[in-house]
Amino acid sequence: MRHRILLVGLAAILLTGVGAVFGLQQGVSPNADTAQASGTPAPAAQAPADQLAGAIARAQEHLRAVPGDYVAWAALGSAYIERARVTADPTYYPKAEGALRRSLSLRPTGNPAALVGLGALANARHEFATARDLARRALRIDPYSADAYGVLADAQTQLGNPPAATDAIQHMLDLRPGLAAYARASYDLEQEGRLGDAAALMRRALGDAVDPADIAFCRYQLGELAWRSGRLDDAEAEYTAGQAADPGYLPLLAGQARVAAARGQTAAALAGYAELTARYPSPGYLMEYANLLRATGQPTRADEQLALAAAALRLFQANGGTDDLGVAQLALAQGHSRQAVVAARGEWSRRHFADVADTLGWALHQSGANAEAFSYAQQAAALGARNCGYLFHLGMIELSLGRNVDARRDLSAALALNPHFSPLDAPVATAALNRLGSR
Amino acid sequence: MPIRRTRSRSTALAALGLVLAAGLAVLGPSGASASSHREAPLIAADPAVDNTDVYAFVSPDRPGYVTFVANFIPFEEPNGGPNFYPFATDAVYNINIDNNGDAKPDATFRWTFHNIDRRGGNTFLYNNGPVTSINDPNLLFRQTYTLQSSFNGEPFRTRVAGAPVAPSRVGPASMPGYARLRNQAITTLPGGWKIFAGQADDPFFLDLRVFDLLYGAHLNEVGQDTLAGYNVNTIAIQVPFKDVALNGNATRNPVIGIWSTAERPRVRITGRTATSATDWVQVSRLGNPLVNEVVVPANLKDAFNALPPVKDASIAPLVARVKDPEVPKLIQGIYGIKPPATPRNDLVEIFLTGITTKAGGPIKADLNSQLNNADVNPSAFRPSEMLRLNLSVKPTAKPNRLGVLAGDLQGFPNGRRLTDDVVDIELQALEGAAQTGKLVGALAAGDGVNANDHPFGTSFPYVALPNVGAVNKGGGTGGNVAQSSAIVPAQPGSTPPAEQSVNAAPAAHSSRDTGNMVITATLGAVAFALAALLITEWLMRRRRPAAVAMATGQSPLPPSAASGPDEPTVQL
Repeated sequence: MRHRILLVGLAAILLTGVGAVFGLQQGVSPNADTAQASGTPAPAAQAPADQLAGAIARAQEHLRAVPGDYVAWAALGSAYIERARVTADPTYYPKAEGALRRSLSLRPTGNPAALVGLGALANARHEFATARDLARRALRIDPYSADAYGVLADAQTQLGNPPAATDAIQHMLDLRPGLAAYARASYDLEQEGRLGDAAALMRRALGDAVDPADIAFCRYQLGELAWRSGRLDDAEAEYTAGQAADPGYLPLLAGQARVAAARGQTAAALAGYAELTARYPSPGYLMEYANLLRATGQPTRADEQLALAAAALRLFQANGGTDDLGVAQLALAQGHSRQAVVAARGEWSRRHFADVADTLGWALHQSGANAEAFSYAQQAAALGARNCGYLFHLGMIELSLGRNVDARRDLSAALALNPHFSPLDAPVATAALNRLGSR
Repeated sequence: MPIRRTRSRSTALAALGLVLAAGLAVLGPSGASASSHREAPLIAADPAVDNTDVYAFVSPDRPGYVTFVANFIPFEEPNGGPNFYPFATDAVYNINIDNNGDAKPDATFRWTFHNIDRRGGNTFLYNNGPVTSINDPNLLFRQTYTLQSSFNGEPFRTRVAGAPVAPSRVGPASMPGYARLRNQAITTLPGGWKIFAGQADDPFFLDLRVFDLLYGAHLNEVGQDTLAGYNVNTIAIQVPFKDVALNGNATRNPVIGIWSTAERPRVRITGRTATSATDWVQVSRLGNPLVNEVVVPANLKDAFNALPPVKDASIAPLVARVKDPEVPKLIQGIYGIKPPATPRNDLVEIFLTGITTKAGGPIKADLNSQLNNADVNPSAFRPSEMLRLNLSVKPTAKPNRLGVLAGDLQGFPNGRRLTDDVVDIELQALEGAAQTGKLVGALAAGDGVNANDHPFGTSFPYVALPNVGAVNKGGGTGGNVAQSSAIVPAQPGSTPPAEQSVNAAPAAHSSRDTGNMVITATLGAVAFALAALLITEWLMRRRRPAAVAMATGQSPLPPSAASGPDEPTVQL
């Protein structure tokens, strides 16, 4: 059974995480470890992956010769974090932490690069408040650090402080305009619903992208912006261009699967999700896969994916991680709405991010608490403008409150933005609108 | 050397233990992923605006003209095929001149690049056949530039538009006779100006084979890249003295200060203001070599790169660090050489004021401070970090790589020639050689690399032609061009004679004439190790971010790199 293999793979990734702290091991090849662990080779990623792996190897080599170079330790740690992001391989995180803490132990004060790296690591682990504090500490030492503002921006975004995030991004743009700043500025505008401006800035970022994975990142985001506007051809063209740059950049597979599903190419979409989740069994992708399986009449297989998602989340939590947003979304997918409310409330107590408001609102709706659900759904729509999922949830909650005019407006808006926004929810929205229309 | 190796190895093992302990103690939620949130690149490579070196020198072949060279995009791999290295089109590249000492530009030369991309989305290829002239239609992607100038704060004036950029040299089959392309990319303007932009051999000479020797078998076991053989993108300009001297008079006012900057347009997301094309953000800045690495402390590097020179004197920690630098202490900590007494006002002269008797510094010479210009208003003088050049010092027929420290007043820190061994000079200067007038014997061998691996040209733009062939083969331009082009059918791999004639031009340097530098092997080894240590750190930091910086060097090094006959002999 592949599922068992996958579970074993998840455990193996965890175990390699322990082994991965041997960051200085000669000829260490963490990428190969992971490929074996998940039972799936990832040959397509080799060219760009090798490049960054080579860079890391050379930094390790340098540190063997000059182990007191705290700047190089911090740079190595930050490179590991980038590598983790690009490869979706979390075993780089303990390596990153080891290198960054080594830097900090060598130079406990006046070492902004180590604090920035640790902040980026905290963001990657969803410890957003910690990340925010580390970024602020770094900025006290080096008020000109664009990287520190980047960490601060990411943290403030996720903590649900849009003005603070925008302010940090503007500082970043003022200090070091370039890909990292443009990408964050693009996301900021996207959340304000300014999708055209967001795309323009992401194109600017693409113009500065050099590394294949960075090109793939920009292409993926451009594809997502097109997707969010329902422009399937444009989205697909961006995903394809991204794959030409870096075939190993996994989010592109998700984008392509979504487009295939929207076009009714169900087999291709399912195959895409199968490959994606085999290579990177993240709860988010597994839940998306489950959605499509359910929408295409395969509830048993959908439940299997959700079981895998639950296992992945348990592993994360077993290691001290906190992701109540993921827990709530999974509970919703499994029909456990009260559990979802508890988890989403927990996440909301920590951060007022749009996704959290949306999930809490939908969980409350599913539990029948529509009045309270309405206020959260409204907050989500206000925090993250022009998001199909938020509009759908808001519209359905309005419908159950008898606010039919509002419901018709918001459901229509969701479908107008992207009629294919979800294989499960879009048909529900269409049906609801039809009912509204006939009344 | 064996002692050094052992020490290195045991420290590395100790470090490994510490990392292991740290990792286990704080393992945290590492092994599995959470539900996704948007994660954007944070330390993305941005080589196009990464300024590696600035040079300024009196043109040896053209009396009365000064040449400025600024290099960008470090570690360009001359692999050919799809690898080519355009200048950024969303940035401007500036060479700035301060001739009255107020730390503000009195002349700025600005390059703005444009793409001409005829690939049409159907191909990634750079060219679809041999490129034999700068306008060859086979060159599918090319760049041109606009050169503008601004004097005394007046608006920029366009001097030329559509000037051709010398293309990335992608191989002998694709570009037979590259020297011809290079020559066609030199543009001459009214007023005697010559300008150039394009790829070149990285003139900074530090051969990383130094480290192969230093760390010996240890490094060879895992492979190591070398710096030699990499290319950079060069911008260069040659103008008459009068165009950059204060009041147009280089006789009365021979000293100028030089620094380069790269700038991108400011983008605003607060409010709804559109991007203003005239509002620029400085993203890199360079004057004196290595100053960012050996003088500016870690927490000031970002500030230093963001600020204009006019602000330098107001950054108290920066000035404090010039007066009390870290490197001599490191040297003492490792090798027991006593640092010179602080405050180091000699270094203030070298880095911040120019060498002059008019600023109260300890160096008893008037060489290259704007304060020595007859028409300068001393009260408006502001100490700032920039390269300073006295145009009245005539070029010497036989330059000494150690420049001023060896009595050759035409060399660094009086401007910077391509042949100046700035690594050795700055090590000596940091150890006080400029104020004592004596070289520190233990450091005399410096980094053991005294010249570039390619001779420089004898006329504008002076930089050597770009390398072809794998970096790790030693980067011989004329020799090991064993690469095959993916674009046109392979042709015999020999380099055309025209190119060799350029590269075989008489060396404008004397790399091995330092007979007085003979010292004992032991001392040499110490200095060698020290220099390598410092330079390794510098290389690690030369490009932001350091680790990702190295991503451009892909190929593993064969255990023993081939050595060409022209390469400097490193003696240990």
